[in-house]
Amino acid sequence: MIDTTPRFTVDGTRTAPTNWDSPDMRKRIARRYAAERRFKYLGMGAVILSAAFLAFLLYVMIGNGLSGFQRTEVALDVDFPALTGGTGAAALTGPSAENTAASLDLPGVVSVAVEAQYGETEVPIFSSGAWQIVQKRLLEDPALIEARQTMWLPASSELDIAAKEGGSAQAERLLAALRAGDAVQTGFNSSFLTGSDATDPAQAGIWSAFKGSLMTMLVTVILAFPIGVLAALYLEEYAPKNRWTDLIEVSINNLAAVPSIIFGLLGLVVFLNWFNMPRSAAIVGGLTLALMTMPIIVIAGRNAIKSVPPSIREAALGIGASPIQVVFHHVLPLALPGILTGTIIGMARALGETAPLLLIGMRAFIPTPPGGLTDPSTVLPVQIYLWSDEVNRGFVEKTSAAIIVLLLFLLSMNALAIYLRNKFETRW
Amino acid sequence: MTDDNRRNEQLARIARNNMGEAAADVPSEPIGLADPKISARGVNVFYGAKQAIKDVSIDVGMDNVVAFIGPSGCGKSTFLRTLNRMNDTIPIARVEGDIRLDGEDIYSPKMDVVQLRARVGMVFQKPNPFPKSIYDNVAYGPRIHGLASGKAELDEIVERSLQRAGLWNEVSDRLSDSGTALSGGQQQRLCIARAIAVDPEVILMDEPCSALDPIATAKIEELIHALRGQYAIVIVTHNMQQAARVSQRTAFFHLGTLVEYGKTSEIFTNPREEKTKDYITGRYG
Ligand SMILES: Nc1ncnc2c1ncn2[C@@H]1O[C@H](COP(=O)(O)OP(=O)(O)O)[C@@H](O)[C@H]1O
Ligand SMILES: [Mg+2]
Repeated sequence: MIDTTPRFTVDGTRTAPTNWDSPDMRKRIARRYAAERRFKYLGMGAVILSAAFLAFLLYVMIGNGLSGFQRTEVALDVDFPALTGGTGAAALTGPSAENTAASLDLPGVVSVAVEAQYGETEVPIFSSGAWQIVQKRLLEDPALIEARQTMWLPASSELDIAAKEGGSAQAERLLAALRAGDAVQTGFNSSFLTGSDATDPAQAGIWSAFKGSLMTMLVTVILAFPIGVLAALYLEEYAPKNRWTDLIEVSINNLAAVPSIIFGLLGLVVFLNWFNMPRSAAIVGGLTLALMTMPIIVIAGRNAIKSVPPSIREAALGIGASPIQVVFHHVLPLALPGILTGTIIGMARALGETAPLLLIGMRAFIPTPPGGLTDPSTVLPVQIYLWSDEVNRGFVEKTSAAIIVLLLFLLSMNALAIYLRNKFETRW
Repeated sequence: MTDDNRRNEQLARIARNNMGEAAADVPSEPIGLADPKISARGVNVFYGAKQAIKDVSIDVGMDNVVAFIGPSGCGKSTFLRTLNRMNDTIPIARVEGDIRLDGEDIYSPKMDVVQLRARVGMVFQKPNPFPKSIYDNVAYGPRIHGLASGKAELDEIVERSLQRAGLWNEVSDRLSDSGTALSGGQQQRLCIARAIAVDPEVILMDEPCSALDPIATAKIEELIHALRGQYAIVIVTHNMQQAARVSQRTAFFHLGTLVEYGKTSEIFTNPREEKTKDYITGRYG
């Protein structure tokens, strides 16, 4: 039912009522709905596109990288009593076990056994580190040494590639022969997760880089989080609003936008050249990344603190809470979810950072996991970068597998962020 | 004019009814009370270069409720907030003059602001409970001031404060629920309970009912009646009916000055100043 009574305008004259049924009006309304629909589809399109990119990335990485977690193993008959001169199990127990194992010349034992079983081959059958696995198994179970054993040992990377995706003609021939003798199997490559960088891709592992990343992140969070939060609190709650604090605010915003490689240069000059801290150490990496992460935490922290309603501050002040009590009892707990989210975003950025760490020397070849914060170490993204640069084809799948590990690390950090945010979120 | 008169008479009637037994003790002398709880002399407040309060002098006694009325922006809140130094939190605010609580200069360097705010409690325009449990809301003040020596004593303070705020019966079985889950009126009474819990001497209320519905408003007004005499109460209101209903003394502010201060019944029946008369008859504001 359309209202047809005349209306009054401001100056008192009568006008005709709005005609909501006129063709013009209808066209206008239709246009409005069309615009609304268009906007909705555009938004949906954007979301679908980004989801597709993500799915593509995951597909490629998992497709390439999963084989990095597997290794080809070949059976080897080892006649321990004959090859080790009848060493007994007792010699491999107790404190001198390691020495005994070293004196056994296991690399020689393995090569003699290979010779005996397979003769000369065009490409090596076993990884050059196969003897280390023999040693590990002997130390775990000394009884093995008293009898002839069939051991599954990692294949050489040529053979591994041939088994996974097809390799050179010689390797293919050898593989076919071994397969005919039922001497090939595929196993879980545990040494990829527990090992360190190596020149032989069959032996290369991610553990030392993972540990380096963990230690670097630890240093970063221990430094950047408290300092960033304190700076944010001071700037929001205590600092007078004047030209100086304005300047500081602008500087911090700019700092958050500075390219990360510049922080690397800063770390190089300050920590390595001035303070003579050790090169390639996790502590220097952590310090450098802390410099980079701090402005992000300060900005996120200030926004979170700003969003705490002033009425809560007034309420607390009004019953006699001191400014510090207002901050620690009310403002900080309410701002914490926001601060944590910002911190984790900053940490995730730091975790994926390569450039500044290259500058402070974390690109060295690290064959053993770092024992402490000052030991030479590398981190996951740098390891990925180094492996992607290797000519040996065996490193291609290692690179992808390392990317999967890095992504899982990131994912678990984000999951932690979401968990913490939900835990501390205040329901109003 | 006849409308104005009728309205005026109605307000005066409300005020007369409300005076009750307290009427006899209220002196007619506008400022100087014999034994004031709060005594302000020559108070000026500036926000930067802008003067918001001009030379205000007023006494607040223990035994009655004082209402501050006046058009919006005349400085009622500003003056109220000088009484517990809440203006200290505004960097550009500057307070001049002499304000005493029990004869003690509250702006002297020796005054401990934290203690002052515990002695002079405040209830704000918008209910602002902490996003914590009802219990923790009330217990917060006693906890930070160390007023309870144990859990049992704290429980007792919480119960007593909620009872005085007229909220105990509604919340006694859900003290661990969030204070923000209560209705607006309940939240405001929770804020009053929170202020009462630290055992203040004065309670300042800045338009405590402006965000509430009429039923919740009536409950708060009843509460103010019940609290009268135990605390010196100052209430800012833009609602003249409310001023007439709850207060025994009324101060009328206009453009930062205190135009008139006296018995509520007199202000509404027989204002001395033309401006007051214009305001209470609804000519402006
Ligand atoms: N934080 C502030 N900064 C600057 N000016 C303010 C501030 N608070 C209030 N004022 C000004 O002081 C005057 C009095 O305000 P207020 O005390 O809030 O009035 P009322 O409570 O009577 O409505 C107003 O002109 C207002 O603009
Ligand atoms: Mg106000």
